[in-house]
Amino acid sequence: MIRLEQVTKRYGETTAVNQLSLEIGKGEVCVLIGPSGCGKTTTLRMINRLIEPTAGRIFIDGRDTATVDAEKLRLSIGYAIQSVGLFPHMTVFNNIAVVPQLLLWENNRIVRRVGELLELVGLEPADYIRKYPSQLSGGEAQRIGVARALAADPPILLMDEPFGAVDPLTRERLQAQFIHIQKEVNKTIVLVTHDLDEAIRLADRIAIMESGRLVQYDSPEIILSRPGSKFVRDFVGADRALKRLSRISVKDFIKPAAAVNVNQPKKEALASAAGHRWLWVVDDDEQLIGWVDTKTLMQSVSTKEAMDEGDAVKISILESATLREALSRMLELGFKHIPVVDDSQRLIGEVALGDIEAATAEGKG
Amino acid sequence: MPSKKTRRWFILGVALVAFVVLIANTGLWETGLRFLFPGETTVIHPRASLLVLVWEHIQLVAISSGITIILGIPLGIWVSRPSGRDFLPIVTDITSFGQTFPPVAVLALAVPVLGFGLMPTIAALFLYGLLPVVRNTIAGLHAVPSDLLDAAYGMGMSRLQALFRVELPLSARVILAGVRVSVIINIGTAMIGAVIGAGGLGSPIIAGLVRDNLAFIIEGALPAALLAILADQFLTNIENSLAYTNEPV
Ligand SMILES: Nc1ncnc2c1ncn2[C@@H]1O[C@H](COP(=O)(O)OP(=O)(O)OP(=O)(O)O)[C@@H](O)[C@H]1O
Ligand SMILES: [Mg+2]
Repeated sequence: MIRLEQVTKRYGETTAVNQLSLEIGKGEVCVLIGPSGCGKTTTLRMINRLIEPTAGRIFIDGRDTATVDAEKLRLSIGYAIQSVGLFPHMTVFNNIAVVPQLLLWENNRIVRRVGELLELVGLEPADYIRKYPSQLSGGEAQRIGVARALAADPPILLMDEPFGAVDPLTRERLQAQFIHIQKEVNKTIVLVTHDLDEAIRLADRIAIMESGRLVQYDSPEIILSRPGSKFVRDFVGADRALKRLSRISVKDFIKPAAAVNVNQPKKEALASAAGHRWLWVVDDDEQLIGWVDTKTLMQSVSTKEAMDEGDAVKISILESATLREALSRMLELGFKHIPVVDDSQRLIGEVALGDIEAATAEGKG
Repeated sequence: MPSKKTRRWFILGVALVAFVVLIANTGLWETGLRFLFPGETTVIHPRASLLVLVWEHIQLVAISSGITIILGIPLGIWVSRPSGRDFLPIVTDITSFGQTFPPVAVLALAVPVLGFGLMPTIAALFLYGLLPVVRNTIAGLHAVPSDLLDAAYGMGMSRLQALFRVELPLSARVILAGVRVSVIINIGTAMIGAVIGAGGLGSPIIAGLVRDNLAFIIEGALPAALLAILADQFLTNIENSLAYTNEPV
């Protein structure tokens, strides 16, 4: 889809990008990462020709971009930047409509498209189309920026630190939404960041750059388990085993959990324990409401009396969580097993600490 | 409940009507000035009615400011483009020079070339009003944040599209402020046109100075001051209507 061949950009004496070759497949998310000044932005901006390379060639769908009219090229590539760059004199509607208007779309089509996009990024169209950028929060502005980049449904999206200017909590939410949106739109995305966790979370492949050169280009799993050089090893940090866990969903590690209904008689409950010391307690709707120690249960009259109540939100994790979150929650609670629940807090199963350890060990090789 | 904006325009409209009524009412002026200056034999300049003088004055200002805007804004835009950037220092120098030059001197130089009357006056007013327009156009365009231009070009706008869709709308208020200053300067400076027979509110003032008649001077100066205030309010209202949020301004 996108191919960079020996691309170099020089500014006088400084070489911003040095003989960089990179291939990004259709529908892939490629994250460019590296220390400040290593040439990430320059690389990104050469793809849509905001910067012309000093040497080398860039192909999109097999066509040399240098042979395409620069403005036409950019109309077919979505572009989102860190500062968002929403036009302050235009409403949200007009901001998103910029590219469709440049492409002379019919008005009805633009109206429909803007509505779709706002829904896609999770904003209620009626509430937002008439607002001006100065009336938006940072997170809302970022989402409008993404909607604007997607406006004309370009196959390619370039994003320069798109979640850089918001607080960590909002950033995490935007990242989750990014993953969700990408599942739906399936674009070829080149994203620049200097946040490794973000890269690990979002990327299909990570391109690590060091002073203008590409030093490793691999999937996050491989970058974390087999860093190719000392630079990459230092860059990913000593906690790379932990970081790897954030790439792994708990889904594949869920095992059936021993559970009892809160209204079950003591005898039945003890019988279903089948050797387990601890049992999860659910209510009639299968929702997790606490746990019970079989030792206590033996000395009590009923399950209800023996139960330790716990808020499902605090004592469990969602099935969409990662192993890293599972591990963190276990350490926090001091559990060796953590229950997994669905969106309505119904117990699905549990994840064992031992299995997480095993998963960490697997990647060592 | 009318918005603040509508109220401003309404007040301006009322002031305008009051102004026209005031200058059309020669009798009122005569009575007033006679009361103030009982010693003078004539208190109203005989050349033309006040209405005509004001109208001549407005024409002078409108034509010269029109030319200033039509040439000044494109000039400011051009020297802000890559193609004209080399001329930026020259243009700013010339326009500032145009303003430091006394308008009377411009007239003196222009008369041999353009003759008496309207033409040299308009030339002088044009030169005199150019600086604020050009300077504000340059400043307004310069103040457009570079990341917005980056976004504009990155989305596929051509230079011209970026200029009309992003740069000019964003600098419109600053440019208009320059126009406002220029027009106000011209309303005052247009007085000198009377020296070489261009008419306007300068006529009674010159006559008043020559004949030592304070009544004439007031007959010229007062409407000119009112005119300047009205023009200022009018252009301020336009400026405010360009504010680009729907929050109350
Ligand atoms: N217009 C320019 N003129 C001269 N040097 C430039 C220019 N643009 C970038 N550079 C240099 O090129 C190098 C790479 O810049 P670039 O903006 O691509 O870095 P980056 O990886 O995006 O960094 P950051 O993470 O800080 O955004 C830097 O050393 C920078 O100083
Ligand atoms: Mg950068």
